[in-house]
Amino acid sequence: MEKTELSTPVEKAIRMLSKINVDFYDVVASYSRSLSVDIFRRGIKEASSRVDLGIGIRVFKNKGMGVAYSQSLDESDIERTVNRAVSFARIAQPDPYFKGIPGPSKAPQVPGLCDKEIIDLTLEDASRIPREIIEAAESVRAGAMYIGGFNAIYSKACLMTSTGVSIEVEKTIASASLRLVYKEGDDVGSSYEFDYGTSLSDINPNWIGKRAAEKALEQFGSKRVKSDFLPLILLPESSSSLFSSLLLALSGESAVKGRTFASKLLGKQVGPENLEITDDGTIPGAVASSTYDGEGVPKRPLKVVERGAILSFLHNSYSAGIMNVESTGHAIRGGYGGYVGAGPSNIRVKPGESPLDEIISDTKRGILVVNASFSPNMVSGEFSTTIDEGFLIEDGEKKYPIKNLMAGGHILDVLKNIELISKDGRIFGKGHFFPAIKIRGVKLSGR
Amino acid sequence: MLTLKDLLESTVEKGMSWGADFCEIRYFEERSNSISVENGIAKSLSSGVLRGVGIRVIVNGRWGFASTSILDRESVERALKDALGGAKSIAAYASEEAKVAEVKSSIDSVVHNVKIRPEDISPEEKIKRILELERAAGAFSDRVKDTFIMYGDVITKVIVCNSFGTFVEEETPRTRIACRVIAKEGDNLQEGYEVLGNVAGYELIERIDAENFSLKAARKAVELLSAHPPPRGTYTVLVDPKVGGLFIHEAIGHNSEGDHVLSGQSIIADKLGKKIASSLVSIIDDPTRIGYGHFIYDHEGTRAKPHIIIKNGVLTGFLHSLETAAKLEGEPGGSARAQSHHHPPIVRMSNTYLAPGDMTFEEILEDINCGIYLSGSQYGYVETQKGQFTCKVEEAWMIVNGELTEHLRDVAVSGLTLEALTNITAVGKDLVIGMPGMCGKSGQSMYVDAGSPHFRIDGIVVGGRR
Repeated sequence: MEKTELSTPVEKAIRMLSKINVDFYDVVASYSRSLSVDIFRRGIKEASSRVDLGIGIRVFKNKGMGVAYSQSLDESDIERTVNRAVSFARIAQPDPYFKGIPGPSKAPQVPGLCDKEIIDLTLEDASRIPREIIEAAESVRAGAMYIGGFNAIYSKACLMTSTGVSIEVEKTIASASLRLVYKEGDDVGSSYEFDYGTSLSDINPNWIGKRAAEKALEQFGSKRVKSDFLPLILLPESSSSLFSSLLLALSGESAVKGRTFASKLLGKQVGPENLEITDDGTIPGAVASSTYDGEGVPKRPLKVVERGAILSFLHNSYSAGIMNVESTGHAIRGGYGGYVGAGPSNIRVKPGESPLDEIISDTKRGILVVNASFSPNMVSGEFSTTIDEGFLIEDGEKKYPIKNLMAGGHILDVLKNIELISKDGRIFGKGHFFPAIKIRGVKLSGR
Repeated sequence: MLTLKDLLESTVEKGMSWGADFCEIRYFEERSNSISVENGIAKSLSSGVLRGVGIRVIVNGRWGFASTSILDRESVERALKDALGGAKSIAAYASEEAKVAEVKSSIDSVVHNVKIRPEDISPEEKIKRILELERAAGAFSDRVKDTFIMYGDVITKVIVCNSFGTFVEEETPRTRIACRVIAKEGDNLQEGYEVLGNVAGYELIERIDAENFSLKAARKAVELLSAHPPPRGTYTVLVDPKVGGLFIHEAIGHNSEGDHVLSGQSIIADKLGKKIASSLVSIIDDPTRIGYGHFIYDHEGTRAKPHIIIKNGVLTGFLHSLETAAKLEGEPGGSARAQSHHHPPIVRMSNTYLAPGDMTFEEILEDINCGIYLSGSQYGYVETQKGQFTCKVEEAWMIVNGELTEHLRDVAVSGLTLEALTNITAVGKDLVIGMPGMCGKSGQSMYVDAGSPHFRIDGIVVGGRR
């Protein structure tokens, strides 16, 4: 994949802005090149490559913000983009909570975020991975219908601000997935598996194909279950949604302005004594790691939950300003589109004592949740969700796969009712770690 | 100087002379403006320009695709080479044979006229109007904690040029406004939301009556403070046009998409010509109808037609792209769209709805002894291969002996497509299509709309918390 130079257009915009009477500004340009090979039906369908380039400008005048972005970096388009952002900033009304944007800081580079193998990848090389995924699935059982593929992206961004921040970052991400469907008459066995990381060697096509196929075969003969009140065992693929939602509800503007279910939880006990969650954006080689956050503030590990109690919000400079604290380095900039939000990076939930097998075998009656999203209504914290893939457990054993079953409750009740945290779990994107958890009792709606 | 038309046409010619059996180049441009208001302050204004080309080729039965935002001749030529090289790179593997339906070429240029072009209204005037609408929400009650309005206008221009000789250009303006209100009482926080949007200009904003927009969102948020969690179990539900539209979109719409059918991901793949729903059910996807999902040509240059998916309970057709039409022996009806130049066109719904029946809301309601009335949709999703769908609903009421009683909040329902379609036992006559939104599929987001009259479904699982 070829590279491109981004500092010149950014400096051009910065020069233009420095001559205009505004209070703050930042300019970001980003470039990305991606390769993908799609799996469809019974084989490989399409090979694609994409080149994206754009520039985004934020201007602040009297605490009002103007944003403009463009996919053209021609000099005349940069000038138009600057002018639009400036004129919008002048029209925008003062936001009393805005206190400025961060200045420069030095941080040690987080290693392992840019893989040369991905940069040098060709579509010929890339198509090996989906082929291996399909072969692995076929080795478990042939004849499924597939959707999935492989994607590799190299991206580069340059950020400069009126406060002196000047950084360039590079990153590579590889991801692969497979959804497959087996049919036996009217019965369907279907599942999904995926993996992602910063380097090509993070992707194990054989594991993806085999595991997706094995999980799908287990889904034949799914049955309905009666409405009940049962313990749930969430596998890492599902517990991830629960913990991610909690950290998202503790992030940025919405959290500090009292607009999420977690706004009032600072210092409060939300889970068992052994619940500990750290957010760490500095893990070498992890997808959600970076040397700086979206505003140029160095990333650092942050303990968010200790002994079951909430210790901190996840701040960008705006939300930190409202609480008169330092940013925790959790600003997230969505490319050159302009908006800067806040959110978690690598979420690490501390493993517990119990092996997953034991948690299952000690359960008299319950539901093993393979896949379901426990993301609640972020304002109220209430949730009502379909268990998309799961099993009824009876006497410590998986009885049969379930269908058309819903779980409902309040996310804080679920956290409070965490009975066990597993010793084993799954690492996602080489950084997140989520164990399986057992929830004491959840209300289930079914037949 | 090289015009855009020359660039597009010469790229297709080059693609064919370099070995493609089919070549398509699509120019995409989107100019958008947005204003966001929070608690009486228009704190940010934004505008953006996206543009570039996406190139698709078939070489020896394999698809190659490449896109670029860099529009000089050299970069476009490199993208063409990448697309050709991509197709060749997968030639050696067991692959899905690439194919497109042979269609007659179209040459046309379409501009959707609007009464008031959003660019003719100054940002200051827009802010004044938005603040006025927002104030109505803020003044509704002292329990209103926060009010937000997000305004956006966007002009999307798509040019499709392909080796059939098609050269079609379409420019579509869309205007959208959403109001979000958070109400608070003690630790209890609730949210109300309303959105309006269409293929339209600023006239859409001028015509808004706060009563049916911002005030409605505020009322909803405040009233939800005293609503209860829903009960658990299987119920007869009466759905309003928004929940109905979401159900039609999720439960049946996605299952009728040709690519899902082709890849074995649809529960109705083998049911064409069969009765799969109650006789009261007719479902149509109509891009020609004015709605947020309206267009004249799809992103493969095919002229759009209304599609009858289910007629009186019988599955009559699927939605097609050029490829799925060729493989499933269907007729290309213009259902392929792409989010941007970086995405290849895939099969999408447009404005999808359940055709009206002959009952009034009251008639349907009075027949229900014990059930739940579902109103307002948040979002939904479906696992087409299993035919299992989930719809999140804004608010609901218990129905006891034909009357609406207890107010419920945060309700979600889940069902199995084939059962639910058979269990539609009453359809109203009050069709409304008005849920402008973005539908996500295969990593692409697309403008769609949906709706229905009020209707009744038996045996739906309600995700309760008591």
